[in-house]
Amino acid sequence: MTPAALTLWAGFAIGLVFGVAGQITGFCLTRGMRGWWVTGDGLKIRAFALALAVAILGTQLIDAIGLIDVRRSIYLGESFSWLLMPLGGVLFGYGMVACNGCGSRALVLLGSGNLRSFVVLVCLGIAAYMTLTGLIAPLRTQVAALTGAAVGEGPQSLPYLARAVSSNVARVVFTLVTAGLLLWFVFAHKPFRSSTKDIAGGLIIGALVPAGWLATGWLGADDFDPAPLVSLTFVAPIGETIQYAMIATGTKVSFGVAVVCGVFLGSLVAAVSMGKFHLEGFPTAERMARYMTGGALMGIGGALALGCSIGQGLTGLSTLALGSFLAAGGILLGGRLALRGPLALPPL
Amino acid sequence: MNRLFSDRFSRRDALLLGASGAAWLALSTSAWAQAWERLDAARKLIGDAKPSSDGIALDLPLISEDGSSVQLTVNVDRPMTDADYVQSIHLFASRNPSPEIASFEFTPRAGRANVMTRVRLNESQTVIAVARTSKGQVFATSRDVRVTVSGCLIRADTYESAGEMLPRVRVPAKTAAGTPAEVLTLINHPMETGLREGADGTVLPQRIVRSFEATLDGEAFFKATLYRSLAANPYLRFHVAPKASGKLAFKWTEDTGRVAEASANIAVG
Repeated sequence: MTPAALTLWAGFAIGLVFGVAGQITGFCLTRGMRGWWVTGDGLKIRAFALALAVAILGTQLIDAIGLIDVRRSIYLGESFSWLLMPLGGVLFGYGMVACNGCGSRALVLLGSGNLRSFVVLVCLGIAAYMTLTGLIAPLRTQVAALTGAAVGEGPQSLPYLARAVSSNVARVVFTLVTAGLLLWFVFAHKPFRSSTKDIAGGLIIGALVPAGWLATGWLGADDFDPAPLVSLTFVAPIGETIQYAMIATGTKVSFGVAVVCGVFLGSLVAAVSMGKFHLEGFPTAERMARYMTGGALMGIGGALALGCSIGQGLTGLSTLALGSFLAAGGILLGGRLALRGPLALPPL
Repeated sequence: MNRLFSDRFSRRDALLLGASGAAWLALSTSAWAQAWERLDAARKLIGDAKPSSDGIALDLPLISEDGSSVQLTVNVDRPMTDADYVQSIHLFASRNPSPEIASFEFTPRAGRANVMTRVRLNESQTVIAVARTSKGQVFATSRDVRVTVSGCLIRADTYESAGEMLPRVRVPAKTAAGTPAEVLTLINHPMETGLREGADGTVLPQRIVRSFEATLDGEAFFKATLYRSLAANPYLRFHVAPKASGKLAFKWTEDTGRVAEASANIAVG
């Protein structure tokens, strides 16, 4: 099997695991934020934090031993937009709460028959590509060019920028400090320690991030046909899947599309075998309008921030990229604005 | 009946109708002219011959987000015998600053007139392929490619100057006699177009790999002339159908005269 085919199958397998784990454990950042800030349930947010800790540890490990080179990923470019990263994150976070789940969660819910998620996914995908290569793209590229920023030269990651100390020491310090803080936050909470479902969800989904890097950067390593180094992300790939379904005769499947298909199918299989599959729609037209707007906000925000709650919140942060901290911070801020305060949305 | 007709349509009317109909037909066929007819370089190559589009296939993605490296495969589906073989294939990018992408020359030893490479496309345009056989038959086809705004970040230089002119070759260790085997070749090179500005604002001069030659036991079976519309890190996948085990040798020549070489053995059994 060629490296390219191997990468695609690995992506599909990763998606299947994500879909099954998402369906069974209910892993979801939106529920986490709502629980943390509104209802007082700290389980889901800690599952996400655990996933992040595992993603950071795993990614930095495989990068340190040379299996992949994270500097080839889009998160570690030579500059990033100081405006679009946080702004995109805020838009994404707000849209995420508006439709009660991000793009990956929508894929998992679609697998259990939730047709509201179908509407969200279509709006997300179309809005994302409008921003990346469509009607909004010229505006985006102009603003990005005007607001480009870089701290010193080279890939914009925390360890690299602190390399004056020593690049290995800086990497180890940043990795252990961030993972350590996250793990302390996660396991200091007694209810979480006894919730095997959430611990499993966090561990599995966190491990899928380095798995994705390995699939594209190690399994897919081919001098003659270099594949882009990517891992889990769900904004552009959802748009790509819609586009692929329409122009498959003139384009090829990518890793992201394989993951998206895997997530949907994994969730579908899990839902059907657990008897949890049933069709659901919108109760009112206003609810549908809210979900459509949320999907569009996620598509636009995710495209501007180069990633979503998983794409930047897990994958981007696992590279310890400066831009990812801005984007992830924006997502948290956007979610917060939608859950509490003057701009809060009514609960669903 | 006749009276009705001649009442409605006088002879002058009929002539006018006929003339305008003929004019419309003439205009529309020229409006629908083949893509290769609109490109000078391709027209010059074809000359007076009537190219057929049957038997030549050009494969490119319909949409490419990144125009700097678009995969292209051209295939002329004909057996390569000593009497009748595909002699050359030429590729053009109709809207690039220099439309020539590459020219490939084959001998019957190549086994298949099928080449895969990566090209640079400046904007959405039509890519044209023209092939000639040893008997003088001409084939031509074209594909439209849409090149969109690059989705992600600005791509930094994709080559390391330390590894420039470093070739890589992949050849199967063994093949059956006379069966075409795939040969993959790659060389690190920026293929500097002469249109790019460096960090200090001055235009970087053109510097490209100009030619490539593949020989089997000293006899050339595949030659390529490359132009600046070929993507950086020139990648060429072609075929060889050896009759007996031998040594393949590959030579890349830069337009400055620098040369890089590589070789591989292939066993026939």
